[in-house]
Amino acid sequence: MSELLRVTNITAGYGDGPAILDGAHLTVEPGKVHCIIGPNGAGKSTLLKAICGMLTIRKGDVVFKGERLNGLRPDQILRKGICFVPQERALFPKMTVRENLRMGGFILDDARELERRIEAILERFPILRERADQHAGTMSGGQQQTLAMARTLIIKPAIVMLDEPSLGLAPKIVQEMFDIMKMMSAEGVTVLLVEQNATMGLKNSDWGVVLDLGKTLFEGPATNVLSDPRIQELYLGGKKAA
Amino acid sequence: MALSFQNTNADDLLAARRAHNERLARRADQKRATWFPVALLLVLAALPLVQLTGNYNYVLHLVLFTASYVVMASGWNILGGFAGYVSLGHAVFFAIGGYFSGMLLARLGISTILTAPLAGLVAAIVGYLVGLITLKVRGPSFIISSIALLMIVRILFDHWTFIGGANGLSLPINDLSVLWAKVPYYYAFIAMAAFTVWATYRIKHSKFGLGLRAISKDEIKAESAGINTRFYKVLAFASSAFFVGMSGAVWGEYLTYLRPNIFLIILVSANLVLMCILGGKGTIAGPVIGAILIVAINELFVATMGASEINILGTGLVMAIGLMFFPLGVIGTLARKDKLPRFLNWD
Amino acid sequence: MSEIIQVTILGLALGGVIALMGSGLSLVFGVMRIVNLAHPSLIIAGAYVTYWGFKLWGVDPIVMLPVASLIMAAIGVLIYRLMFAREAKSARYSEMTVLLTFALAMMVEGLLGGLFTNTQRVTSPDYATAAFFIGDVFVPKGQLYAGIVSIVIIASLSLFLKYSRLGYAIRATTQNRDAAELLGVNVNFISVLAFAIGIGLAGAAGSLVSFVFSFFPAKQWEWIAMLMSVVVLGGMGSILGTVIAAFSLSIIAAFVGTWVGATWSTMTFFLALFVILLVRPQGLFGEKPELA
Repeated sequence: MSELLRVTNITAGYGDGPAILDGAHLTVEPGKVHCIIGPNGAGKSTLLKAICGMLTIRKGDVVFKGERLNGLRPDQILRKGICFVPQERALFPKMTVRENLRMGGFILDDARELERRIEAILERFPILRERADQHAGTMSGGQQQTLAMARTLIIKPAIVMLDEPSLGLAPKIVQEMFDIMKMMSAEGVTVLLVEQNATMGLKNSDWGVVLDLGKTLFEGPATNVLSDPRIQELYLGGKKAA
Repeated sequence: MALSFQNTNADDLLAARRAHNERLARRADQKRATWFPVALLLVLAALPLVQLTGNYNYVLHLVLFTASYVVMASGWNILGGFAGYVSLGHAVFFAIGGYFSGMLLARLGISTILTAPLAGLVAAIVGYLVGLITLKVRGPSFIISSIALLMIVRILFDHWTFIGGANGLSLPINDLSVLWAKVPYYYAFIAMAAFTVWATYRIKHSKFGLGLRAISKDEIKAESAGINTRFYKVLAFASSAFFVGMSGAVWGEYLTYLRPNIFLIILVSANLVLMCILGGKGTIAGPVIGAILIVAINELFVATMGASEINILGTGLVMAIGLMFFPLGVIGTLARKDKLPRFLNWD
Repeated sequence: MSEIIQVTILGLALGGVIALMGSGLSLVFGVMRIVNLAHPSLIIAGAYVTYWGFKLWGVDPIVMLPVASLIMAAIGVLIYRLMFAREAKSARYSEMTVLLTFALAMMVEGLLGGLFTNTQRVTSPDYATAAFFIGDVFVPKGQLYAGIVSIVIIASLSLFLKYSRLGYAIRATTQNRDAAELLGVNVNFISVLAFAIGIGLAGAAGSLVSFVFSFFPAKQWEWIAMLMSVVVLGGMGSILGTVIAAFSLSIIAAFVGTWVGATWSTMTFFLALFVILLVRPQGLFGEKPELA
């Protein structure tokens, strides 16, 4: 199996604080949707932040396409093609949809190419075209999340990391978000998803990762994770999920 | 496919928790050194006797000056240290106290030492009313509002002819000989300083003080815990104004004149903030240590370089360095390192 | 009637300069969440640069403006590196930084006072005391020029923020620092840049202030309260809000000054600050009710 990103035994935390991640590992394969599950405070978001360079990695390695990413700045990692959509406030509320998309291509130097890509995105997401000149902060939760996800596509990333895209959205809208995610995956973008709603996340993913107490407990095909009785009991809310 | 759950080492965790608990217990066990402030007070009470051997007015002036700032900084500490609301406008209460008692002295001839508590009360009432308005905001907005308060009162005082306007007014000089002229004020300030330190200690350990500290940590949580935060904050503002006003009352008579550009300047406010931060905000001994330090530094600047501009520059510089490198102050830094000498632990 | 027009014009003429004085403050708050109490003291520093340029070499204050703003911007970078860069991770960031700027304000005042004493200064190019007449109404030339230059500078700043790549980065950092960083914006660089621009604007304002008002180092406290009321009313961080607030308050102050008395016109700003804090703490255009 060919791997795109490999995280081995990393330790990381905030500032001088305690290590939130303590020996987590992760393998990301190209083109698949990976879902990281685990209870609150397990270190799921921290893992994504460590990969994208927002946190200093104290121990261990993050290797992308054979290259170590440790110690690179977020913008350098972004240029390698790893894009992170943080929880909730990922947008610039007082910028228009179009300006938000333009920010999405901030690292692109070719202004004309950027405008072309923005057009392409607006083409694919009619709801965004409809609201292109509206401030992002005035849109509904689902529209905002759509914009946040669509915005990552501007730089044609290799990996998109999504931190709880379903947070605060109505169930019907949540499925739309997963559909966008699967569409991205179908186009060859590798997705790394953190999801609080573990069952729903796993059902929409190819690969499952269970993280707890800063350590990776298990990684494997999503269907296997979903059907494992121990994981069902501890992380999927008991029998209901089965 | 291997599924392996790793056990956290429960024994290690328990041992760590136990050690932590013991450390906390030891810290609480450390006895307060009440003997030290009491001894200090006795020494200071006996100090004027040196006047029998010669003219030590400068020494008395320095101690009295420090004591006046101990009163004000400790008072400021109730709002700024306990409740976490940094005010840069407390010079206003210094002026209110000074002018209230000063006017009584000028018109009716009553010594400010007698009317000082009343002046404090007037300052407290004004503080209460101002607090009702400005304590609606916090953080930088509150700081800005306190500067605005100072500017407003300055303009009012500058143009209020009844109290002498910008020229101020002079107060009668007492008829004691040069050697003993400072002594009444000396005792007044020492007594007020002792009372203030004792009072802030009592406040800190009361339900009121506990509430203020909760507000400083997290106001929303404090409110949801059932603390009437609005009332507590306003009361903290009023009581801090009380002490500052009291100090101002006697200071006016000691100076023998009242003038807006002596009382209503931001340097007075800045000194209070600086003393509390350098000494240790929210501690009892902090403002005292801070007042001693700042008065010493000020004297050094004035003695060596004279100009008041250098004094402003120096105050700013000390403040910046203190904030950047010792944000917890002398007491806070030592306490954090478990190195606070027992005689300075008044909390 | 002509009196009303006259007073309005005087208010409008000052509004521009006050808007420029406030805009740097607003920008620095917007990007870095620093309430820069030292801003007026740095305006005064810029005024001294202009004053000496005029006095020693006879350089026109408006010509000195770019020089003063560049010098002040460089000083801004230095100040940021020495004092604020290290506070970025402080737990009580907003309180720490505001106290630090207060300390800075005192240092600048002490330094300027030590160097140039506290005598009132004013640069006096010919136009400073001249006026145009339109019928009965007179328009002081100095204030008019200063107002026009201010508006040109603020307009260029707005265009820069709205359309340039760096402007996008600055606005993005203001609105969502984390997201900006994740999209490849070097937020530390943007912070230094915004701080430098903010202090550069203080320098520019200083050049204009030098012939519109008389100044001395201790004047900063009056201006702190005045500018704070402008930026708080405008909604801290909003440049448009700052401009609108500056014009409205200075027109009101002009009327108060004419009808009530000159000393009470500055009072307008301070009382306005109190009223705003009481009624609408987030200002006209601010979205955050609390600055804490």
